[in-house]
Amino acid sequence: MEEQFLDLKNSALSLILDTESLTELEEIRIQFLGKNGELTLLFKEVTKLSAEEKPEAGKVANEVKRIIENTIKQKSDELTKKGKSKHQSLDVTEPGIKPPLGHLHLVTQAIREITTIFGHIGFTRERYPEVEWDWYAFTSLNFPDDHPARDDWETFFIKQQPDSKMGPVVLTPHTSSGQVREMQKKQLPIKMLNIAKCYRRQSDVSHTQMFHQFEGVVIGQDISITHLKGTLDYFVKSYFGKDRIARIRPYHFQFTEPSFEVDISCGICFGKGCKLCKEGWLEMGGAGMVHPNVLKFGGIDPQKYTGFAFGWGVERILMMKEGIQIDDLRILYGNDLDFLKQF
Amino acid sequence: MNIKILDSWLREYVVTKATPKQIAEKLSLTSVSVERLEKYGSDFVYDIEVTTNRPELMSVIGLARETAAVLIENDIHAVFTPRTIKSPKTSNEVSIEIKNDPHLVNRVMAVVMEVAVRPSPKAIKERLESTDIRSLNNLIDVTNYVMRAVGHPTHVFDYNRLDTKTLTIRESKKGEEITTLDQKTFKLQGGDIVAENDKGQIVDLLGVMGLENSVVTDQTKRILFFIDNVDPNRIRKTSMRLGIRSEAAVLNEKTVDPELAYDALLYGIELFEKIADGKVISKIVDIYPNKIKPKTVTVTQQQIQNLIGISIPLKKSQDILVNLGFSVEKKDEKLLVTPPSFRAGDIAIPEDVIEEIARVYGYHNIPNIIPPLTTAVIKNETSKFFWEDRIKDALKYWGFTEVYTYSMVSESLYEGPLESAVTIQNPLSEDTAYMRRTLVPSLLQVVTKNKSYDNIKIFELANIYAQRTNNLPDERLKLAGVLKKPKVSFYEVKGVIEQLLSDLGIKNLTFKNLERGGDGASVFVDKDYLGDIEVLDNNTVDFELEFSVILKHATLKKVYNPSSKYPPVVEDLAIIAPANILTGGLIESIKKQSSLITDVSLLDKYKGNRTFHIIYQSYTKNLTNEEVGDIRKKILKELKEKFDATIVY
Repeated sequence: MEEQFLDLKNSALSLILDTESLTELEEIRIQFLGKNGELTLLFKEVTKLSAEEKPEAGKVANEVKRIIENTIKQKSDELTKKGKSKHQSLDVTEPGIKPPLGHLHLVTQAIREITTIFGHIGFTRERYPEVEWDWYAFTSLNFPDDHPARDDWETFFIKQQPDSKMGPVVLTPHTSSGQVREMQKKQLPIKMLNIAKCYRRQSDVSHTQMFHQFEGVVIGQDISITHLKGTLDYFVKSYFGKDRIARIRPYHFQFTEPSFEVDISCGICFGKGCKLCKEGWLEMGGAGMVHPNVLKFGGIDPQKYTGFAFGWGVERILMMKEGIQIDDLRILYGNDLDFLKQF
Repeated sequence: MNIKILDSWLREYVVTKATPKQIAEKLSLTSVSVERLEKYGSDFVYDIEVTTNRPELMSVIGLARETAAVLIENDIHAVFTPRTIKSPKTSNEVSIEIKNDPHLVNRVMAVVMEVAVRPSPKAIKERLESTDIRSLNNLIDVTNYVMRAVGHPTHVFDYNRLDTKTLTIRESKKGEEITTLDQKTFKLQGGDIVAENDKGQIVDLLGVMGLENSVVTDQTKRILFFIDNVDPNRIRKTSMRLGIRSEAAVLNEKTVDPELAYDALLYGIELFEKIADGKVISKIVDIYPNKIKPKTVTVTQQQIQNLIGISIPLKKSQDILVNLGFSVEKKDEKLLVTPPSFRAGDIAIPEDVIEEIARVYGYHNIPNIIPPLTTAVIKNETSKFFWEDRIKDALKYWGFTEVYTYSMVSESLYEGPLESAVTIQNPLSEDTAYMRRTLVPSLLQVVTKNKSYDNIKIFELANIYAQRTNNLPDERLKLAGVLKKPKVSFYEVKGVIEQLLSDLGIKNLTFKNLERGGDGASVFVDKDYLGDIEVLDNNTVDFELEFSVILKHATLKKVYNPSSKYPPVVEDLAIIAPANILTGGLIESIKKQSSLITDVSLLDKYKGNRTFHIIYQSYTKNLTNEEVGDIRKKILKELKEKFDATIVY
C-alpha cells in the first residue's frame, strides 16, 4: 500500500515540476486530488484496510497528499509570478534612459584601425611637420628642381623667405616628407608609420585640398620586395577582409626604385570588371623600395641598408571599404551633423 | 597619361597568338596598366596608363616591343617586328636653312615635299579615331599617325606660306603675340620656344602647337615636314602658362628620345608618298648637337637577389633585359647593362635595372613575407597618440561629436593681424588663404552651418600655426570644443574640462577670470597656461586648450591611499560672505585649517548664502565632537578675519 502511495507521489511531482502552464497545473491537480483523482481513489482503498494496517497507511497517505498539495502551491506561485513579470505594467518598448554618446569622425576611426593593424606587426606611429621645408618634401626625396609636383599649381607654398639650404616652405603634399626626418634620427632599423594631414591644390568629388595619408617606412638589413609585398598583403586582408586580394604592378615615383602601384580586387565585382573599377582592380596607392639617393640624404649607407615605403590616402581606403557608399569625398569635411552623427 | 590603341595596330609590330585579354593582363602586371579593354567593332581597343618616365610607351611600336618582352617571359610565343627603315630619295629642288639654338632644341629634322591635300583613306581615319584623334586631312593626319606609331611628335608647315629661306629658332620675348592654328591669340611671357621667318614673324610655337599663319590649308601644295626634339621644361612651362595641353605638349614635356626623330621622319615621308602623292624636293635637314649617350650600369647577382628577395638566374635576367631593348654583357656574376636610347634618361643606377628584371619576372611571382620584427626600441605606452585617443574617447562618451575642419581659413576666420599670419602664396581661393591660429572660429562656423540643431556639442583636435623668424612655422596641437544649447552654463564646460583632466591624472587646476575681460576663465595646470573657456552668449560656450600642456602633465601614475578605519564626520556649513569673495578662495581657506579636513565642496548657493559640505576624518582615531568643534572655530575665525564672512547655523 505504502509503495503505491510513494509511486503516486513520484509521478505527481515529476508532472508538477515539468509543467510551465497554470492550466496544465490545474489539470494535474484534478488528476490526483479531484473527486475521482488517483490519490482520492487510493485514499478510499485505505478505508478498506484492517485496523492494524490503517494508522500506518493513513499516515503515509496524508503525508503524500500534503507534499503534492504543497508542491502544486509552490509551482502555482512561481508560474503566477513569472506571468506577472512578463505581462504586467512595465512597457519595455519605451525608450531607455541613455548616457550621452557622441561620434568620432570617420577619418579618426580609419586612422585608429590603420594604426592598430600596423601596430601588430611592429610599426610605431610618428608625427612630423605639416608645414615643411621644400628640402624634406622634395629635394631629399630625389625630386629634380623642375619636377611638376613643385609647380605652384600643384603644391601650396607659404609666403616666407626661402632658406638658402632648405628652400621654400610648403604645405606637405604627401606624408613622405617624414621619411628623411625619420632617417635623421639615426635609430636603425626603422619601422615607422606616419599618418598626417596633407595638402594639394585640388578640389573635386575625389579630392579635397586637405586630406590624410598614411605612410609606412621600413629600413634595415636585408629588406626586400618580398617584405613590401608581405606587408601590403597583410594590411589589405586585415583592413578590407580576407576575400580581397592585393597586387602590385610597375609604376614610377621619384623616391622609390623600383616603384609600385598597389591595387586591390574590386569589392563590388570581385575582380570580374565593372563600372567602378579598372578591369576588376581598384588603385589603392603607391609603394616602392626606398631610392638609394633618399637613403643617402637621410645619412644611411645604401650599400648596407635597404628599405621600402608606401603612402596611401586615408580617405581613399575609407571609401574603398565595402558598403560605406560615400560617393563624394568632400562630404567628409563638410561637417554636417546629420552626416557626422551616422558614424 | 593615357593612350588608346587598337589591337590590330599593335599586332602590326608584334606577332603572337596571345589573346587581347592575355595581353592586357600581362601588360598590367609587368609593365603598364591596361585600365580598360573594350570591344571596338570586330577589333579591341586597349586604354593604357603610361607613367611619366616611359614616354616611349605612348606609341604603338614602343608598346609592341614591351608586349613581346613580357609575353615571352610568361612563356607565350611573341616576336617584335619593328619597321624596316629605308632611306628616301632626296633632291636639291628647294632648300631651307634652319638656325637652331641647342639650348632650346636638341634635334631638328626637316624636309620639303610636294603634296596633294585631301581626306585620308578610311584605314588611317579609323585608327586615328580609335585613339581619340580627330581626322582633319591627309597632311595633318600623317603627323598624328606618325606620332602615335613612333612616339615622337611631328609637325607640318605650309612651305609656301612660311615664305622664307631660313627658319630661326629662338626664345620668345615678353609681350610677343601669336595666334595658334585654332585661332586663339596669346600674349607670350617670354622664354617659350618659337621659330621666326625671314621677316621676323613668329611662325611656330615649337613643341606645343602650330600657328595660324603657317598651318596647312586645303590649298597647300608644298609642305615643310618638321620634327623638333625640344627642351621639356620650357614646353611644360609654356603649355601650363597658356593652358594648351596638346598631345604634342604632353609628350614633349616628358623628354622624348631624339633617336626616334629619324624613324618618325622616314615614316612620315613614306606615308606622304602613299596617301598624299608626296615627293621629296629638298635634302633632309638633321641638326643634332648632343647625341644621347646611354650610361652602362653594372649589376651583380647579389644586388639583384638582395633587392628582390629571391634568386633569379643571371641568364634569365639577361634575357629579360635584351628583350626590352637593352644591350647586356654577362661577366662572371655581373651584368654590364646599357639601356637603349629611349630609356637613357630613366636608367642610371643598379636599382633601375633591377626594377626592369623584377617587373618582367613578375611581382606576382615574388613571395609575400612579413618583415622581421627587428625593432627592439622600447616604446612607452603613453605616447602622445595614447592621450589623444583617450581624450577623444572621453569626449565622445560625454556626447561630443568630433569634427575635422580645414587648416586654412579666410581672413574673417583668422581673427588676428594678417601680417603675422602663416599665409599661403597660391591659395585655391581667398576662403582658404591663411593657416589658422585658433580652432574656435572654425568650430563656430560648423555651429552656424548646423542651424537646425538646438543642442550641439562638438570638438576638434588639430594644429594651429604661428610664424617664426628664419624657421618653419610653429605648429601646435589644440583641443577645442563648442557647447551650444538654450541657457547653457559656463559650469557645464568647466565640468567637462575638470573631469577630462582628472581622467588624465592631472591635478592642481586653477581657473581665473579672463584677463581680457568678458565671461569665461583661463585655466592653469600648476603654473602652465592651459587655455580658455569663453562664454559667447546665453547659448554658446567654447574652449580651446594647449595639447602640449595636457601631454606634459598627463600621467598614468597611480598611488594607493588606504581608506581610514575610522568613520568620517560630515557637516554642512552655511556661510554668508560678500559677493565678491570667490568660492574657490573660501574652499582653500577652509581646507588649510586642519589636516583632518579631507574634502570641502560647495553644496549649494542661494543669494548671499553658500553652503559647504565638509568631511573630517582621521586615520588614527575616532574624532570627538570637541575635536571637530575646535576646527570649526578655527574656520570661523579665519573666514571672519580674511573675508568678513559669518557662519549661519
